Amino acid sequence: MSANESKRLERSVDIESSECGPMSSSVTTMQSFVLPASRTLQVPFQVTQIEVHDVPLLTQQVSVHSHYFVNGWSSQPTIPDREVGGTPRAAKARKRTRIQPPHDVVKLSERLFYLLQPDLETLLAGCSLSFPHEPFPFQLDGMAFLMPRFGGILADEMGLGKSMQAISSLRLLVHSGQARSVLVICPKGLVSNWARELSVWAPELVVGVIAGDPDRRRWQWSLQDVPVKVAHYEAVIRDRSILDEIGAEFDLVILDEAQRIKNRASQTSKAVCSISRKRSWALTGTPVENRSEDLVGIFDFVAPGQVHDGMSPRVLGAAAKGHCLRRTKDKVLTDMPPRLDTDRYIELSSEQRETYRRAEEEGVLRLSGMGQEATIQHVFELVLRLKQICNFDTATRASAKTDCLAAELEEVQASGRKAIVFSQWVQTLSRLRERLKRFGPLEYHGGMSTAARDDAIESFRNKSQHSVLLLSYGAGAVGLNLQFSQYVFLFDRWWNPAIEDQAINRAHRIGAAGAVTVTKFLTVGTIEERIDEVLARKRNLSDIILSEAEPEPAASMSAEEIFSLFGLKPPDHVCRRAA
Amino acid sequence: MTFGFLTVCTTANVGMFGGYLLVDITGRPLEFHCTAPLRVTRAQEILYGATLQRYLHGEQIGGPLLKATKLTPVAVLTDRELLLHARSHGASPVVAIQETDSQDKEEEFMSLGTFQLRPHEKDMSKIDQLRPHFESLSSSIELAEPFDRIRAAIDEAQNH
Repeated sequence: MSANESKRLERSVDIESSECGPMSSSVTTMQSFVLPASRTLQVPFQVTQIEVHDVPLLTQQVSVHSHYFVNGWSSQPTIPDREVGGTPRAAKARKRTRIQPPHDVVKLSERLFYLLQPDLETLLAGCSLSFPHEPFPFQLDGMAFLMPRFGGILADEMGLGKSMQAISSLRLLVHSGQARSVLVICPKGLVSNWARELSVWAPELVVGVIAGDPDRRRWQWSLQDVPVKVAHYEAVIRDRSILDEIGAEFDLVILDEAQRIKNRASQTSKAVCSISRKRSWALTGTPVENRSEDLVGIFDFVAPGQVHDGMSPRVLGAAAKGHCLRRTKDKVLTDMPPRLDTDRYIELSSEQRETYRRAEEEGVLRLSGMGQEATIQHVFELVLRLKQICNFDTATRASAKTDCLAAELEEVQASGRKAIVFSQWVQTLSRLRERLKRFGPLEYHGGMSTAARDDAIESFRNKSQHSVLLLSYGAGAVGLNLQFSQYVFLFDRWWNPAIEDQAINRAHRIGAAGAVTVTKFLTVGTIEERIDEVLARKRNLSDIILSEAEPEPAASMSAEEIFSLFGLKPPDHVCRRAA
Repeated sequence: MTFGFLTVCTTANVGMFGGYLLVDITGRPLEFHCTAPLRVTRAQEILYGATLQRYLHGEQIGGPLLKATKLTPVAVLTDRELLLHARSHGASPVVAIQETDSQDKEEEFMSLGTFQLRPHEKDMSKIDQLRPHFESLSSSIELAEPFDRIRAAIDEAQNH
């Protein structure tokens, strides 16, 4: 027993004794005192226990998440400033182009793989890759868009350097080991152009052009030590079985002028989409030429199932957003030389006017007489005939447009500048060549061999005696770099404004030395004026989709519009088919 | 040749995150490690007092990160001087990097372009050995640039 306990017991005994006290003085022997329990006095000596709080002292380690990378590229967005101690971070003046992970990459480690790559400028410097000239910032952005994507559409406006961006991106992929076999598919007339562009922008890469007889092509397709192959669409269709036989596989397939596959039922689309590949990039300045479905066709190649027919333009634009990048000159090239557009209204010569009047009257009478038998094809035939008369009188070869063009070219030649002239017909180009001999005209159209076309371009570029190049829309509207030309003449109008824009942008593109003057010839009071009104209504469809703007009425030329060019009502069967 | 980049960033209402990136000589990523968020209470702030940040940076965040790597870098760069206190947890020299004006440079530290490099005191004697490595690295990348990547990656991990 402790001292305290014995003391407490003593006190308790004392208390009991004092309370019981002497009961009786007569009792002298043993006495027993039995005290009722209720009389026991209990005094609490202990207070209630206080609550104790534990303050953890951070002795447990935080968990660490680890990611390991073997190979790669890419980069990131915001740069939050420092918030804890240390040294202040100076503001960075140098632009850094970061490669963002695509939207469809969801796994964290894969997204970090991209985010943790150096910026594009560092990557290019690290690979010691030189460029003929420093890329524009928007071009670096385009490369940063393409590089991480397995399916992407670069839909920049013509002239912004889509080829260069694609080549530089594929170049980085090859150097990083992410691509060992690349196939570029382009229109036939652009194969030489692509070979030249590749030699300029990726001179260290071995490039093979698929050409020659079937045995030679088979051998070319099989070459393993040629990292970049270039083939035109027709070759891909023709050699589809060869590609299947040899089991050709590509790390990357690039489609130039990808609007070629807008029709999903076409042989071109089927052949291209059947190629075994890991990455699919499409280049086009006009992803939507006439209808929203044009874009669906291209998506069948880059990201099948991502978009489908029947989507409204706004929904389609939203669905395509992560896969599609489009910039326009007015947004990214604020200091690019201006494009000066002029519509030149020309009165037909008296001979042309008479021929035109007769042809139109006869044609309309014939169409009216056909009644329900009339088809759109019949109307087209009349339109083409009238347009040809607007160019040249069929009997006398009189041409008010040519007279006007010749006057314009006098000035072009006198100033030592160059002009390009577009027409729908090779025959028109030939006639122009005859009439414009004094300007040293050269021709470029689909009726010429590839070698002859390349020669024409080289002569036009390098020889001062050639002031004018005559091109067909079909062959010359895409892919050519003619930025040394300051004047563009649209001798007649194409059916689609997007094609006209492509033609104009052969000259109005990066590298243009000065303002580019575009002159569109329109003969007054003719079918050309009426078509122009329809084209004006079509012009904005691609902008609606690509900007996710509010949808507007569809802009393709309807059967009603085509017949109404001549004040006719389309037959019932045509309306039903259109519907 | 491998280099480490070690930093800490703080997100309001979430806590502190540590990030450690290992890159090759061209700046390409090889390994990345990041911590779960670390929150400190007011009570802890009071109890640790002036030693809190040093403890958090050096022991709680820097230490585990330096231990997590498979590769051994030639040096670990940090833009937080407090992370120099993590030095004892790894085999590689730890060097604090700061962008400075030319007149602010202190002579005893290493200067490289606009950056001043201050090694942990334990590594002061290695400064001449490290210089050529840092010069090689800075010919490929800007020395402070990987810290931006780490912050972006932490931001991505946090929102994932």
